[in-house]
Amino acid sequence: MKTHKLFENNSHTWLMFGRDDEKPNEIIDTNQYMVVSKSNALLMDPGGIELFSAMLAAVIKQVPAEKITHLFASHQDPDIISSLGLWDQALPSATLHSPWIWEGFIRHFGMDNITYAPIEDEGGEIKIDNVLLEYIPAHYLHSSGNFNVYDREAKILMSGDIGAALEAPEAPLFVDDFEEHIPKMKMFHQRWMPSNEAKNDWVNRVRKLDIEMLCPQHGRIFKGDNIKHFLDWFEALEVGLTGKNLP
Amino acid sequence: MSEYISGEKNSQPQEYCQDIDYNYFVAAAVIAAKLDQATTIAQQLSLTASNARAVALRAGERAAGFRPLTDFIDRLAEITITASKKINLLAAKLSKTSAAKVRADNAIKHFNLVFTKAADSPFINSLDSAFEHCKINQDRLTRAYQRQIGQLSEELAMLSSELRNAVILATLSRVEASQAGAQYQDALINVADNVEGAAGKIKEHIKYSQQVVSTLQ
Repeated sequence: MKTHKLFENNSHTWLMFGRDDEKPNEIIDTNQYMVVSKSNALLMDPGGIELFSAMLAAVIKQVPAEKITHLFASHQDPDIISSLGLWDQALPSATLHSPWIWEGFIRHFGMDNITYAPIEDEGGEIKIDNVLLEYIPAHYLHSSGNFNVYDREAKILMSGDIGAALEAPEAPLFVDDFEEHIPKMKMFHQRWMPSNEAKNDWVNRVRKLDIEMLCPQHGRIFKGDNIKHFLDWFEALEVGLTGKNLP
Repeated sequence: MSEYISGEKNSQPQEYCQDIDYNYFVAAAVIAAKLDQATTIAQQLSLTASNARAVALRAGERAAGFRPLTDFIDRLAEITITASKKINLLAAKLSKTSAAKVRADNAIKHFNLVFTKAADSPFINSLDSAFEHCKINQDRLTRAYQRQIGQLSEELAMLSSELRNAVILATLSRVEASQAGAQYQDALINVADNVEGAAGKIKEHIKYSQQVVSTLQ
């Protein structure tokens, strides 16, 4: 599991964990993110059960266990949070922030100790030390209860499955040539995203945010102009295809 | 386990016994299912007792010796149903403990991997307290698991012992049936056959469960 520092200032740091070369081939590669502030850390989409030991080993090299006080699960998928039963043992005092609609489902992964903090549909905020992070609603992109995390100060949007690409684990960290990257994203977005209406609403809201890095949970991170390229491409893309058009 | 299965204690064909090579947390669920089947058979046995009572009444004086036997059949059915339910509950409890133990074992396995992978981390000791909790939990579950297996084993042995009476009951029923006259004889012999058959089937389920339990010990 590799660790990359995406951002750092006086108040906090953004770390990305991924490109795990010990990961079994059959499971999809995932990116995990962590915001580390003065006394706390928020671990986002901590990943599947298969990744747990690699993730905890990577995380513990950065911060002590007791500093990871918050977990965030953008939605309920196994590659996002099926490791919960083990985090529950490792971080018994932590709080999990996740869409309210998934609480009863996510608890099936095993949660005896961690506290569940449901996020309302309209989103909200979390403040860790002096760092303010916003939950941006991204419902139906792809999950019916789904959030991104936006850091206004770092200008980073953790976009979950939006912007995700299916590619090899050794893929570069950042999108370089956007046109070349499209084939790696197209089927994923057409097949996993069910609603054009939800997609366009999200694009309109996200265009208003000041973003320097758009960080998906699979594939590469978008920076600079590639963020606009992605939003334009995604807005024009027909999703939720069915029948003969099923990608 | 295979040594026991193919040993003298077990007269079942090898193919039959290969089925009991379960993961330990599946085994308890299998036992619960077997005892559930035993309960159903015992309920049928209870119906047999009611039927026998009716036949014996119709047969009058000629089946006077048969009537008290119907009470014994009833009692046998009742004992089996009560014991099966108790064993079923124990097995369900064991199943829950086993599943929790799998999770605890799994957590320990993952922690050990982390201790190897992140041995050079300056923060590795920050996991000690969580690991210690996991170990305590694992020990507690292991003790509960062993205790529950012991209880299950005892209950199965007790029920098996009770069912030995079924053979005597069937034999006595046949003797009494032979004195009930031609008109009722067949019906009462049928009752005896049912008692023997039901007890035999329940014993099979218990024997199977005992074999599964032996793989857990």
